[in-house]
Amino acid sequence: MTKYAPCGHTFLTPTVNNQRVSGGLSQWFNPESQPTVGRTPDYRFSLANERTFLAWIRTGLALIAGGLACAQFLPPLPIRHLREVIAVALLVLGAVVALRAVDHWARTERAMRLGQELPGSKFPAILAIIVATGALLLVVAVLIRAVKSP
Amino acid sequence: MTDDHGASAERTRLAWRRTGLSAAAVGLLAARPAFSPDAGAVRWLTAAGAMAGWTALVALAYRRTRGLRARPPLPGRRAVLAYALITVGLAALGGVVVMLQSSP
Repeated sequence: MTKYAPCGHTFLTPTVNNQRVSGGLSQWFNPESQPTVGRTPDYRFSLANERTFLAWIRTGLALIAGGLACAQFLPPLPIRHLREVIAVALLVLGAVVALRAVDHWARTERAMRLGQELPGSKFPAILAIIVATGALLLVVAVLIRAVKSP
Repeated sequence: MTDDHGASAERTRLAWRRTGLSAAAVGLLAARPAFSPDAGAVRWLTAAGAMAGWTALVALAYRRTRGLRARPPLPGRRAVLAYALITVGLAALGGVVVMLQSSP
């Protein structure tokens, strides 16, 4: 909306509504017709946000590929179905990373449009701990196997 | 706003392409069991699903890079959301592939 400052200069105030950046089924199919919050930010920031999203998607795709590779290339493990459990865990982790990527992308986009602080996230730390724990467990498994076999 | 002469649009285009290459690895790994001699119809169906998902991702990336060619680049809200959802779909399909693998 347009308002008039006392000095006579015209300025624009951001029109705010409560639509989320990625809200509602109709926006999936016709996003450009839906209003979005705030004002369009510098496109370079939007593109940087998009590249961050894509980097997370690649992380998710790598986890999914790792899960598929586990199921297809590992020999059967001593514990029954352990191979499948590892594979499915990696697949689930990949799907969670992809969903979280789009959520974080939308929240960052919204924050930029409203001129707010960018959202922080504990997710990278959580993912790092999960991956490190998995790697440590595998190291322990390899060591136990090496000690047991003559 | 200073013009970056399309550098950020180009970086983004290359990021879409890299992501498509990662998706290719997932698609091929998901389709791989269909090439074993005793592969049944279900494995062929999951392989077809994986290829369809990969094709959809590549097509989305292609569409998005055309939007990036505009000055200023068009927003890619729909492409981003669809890409993430198809990736989740590929993960679910991967779960089916793993289950089929474990039951010979």
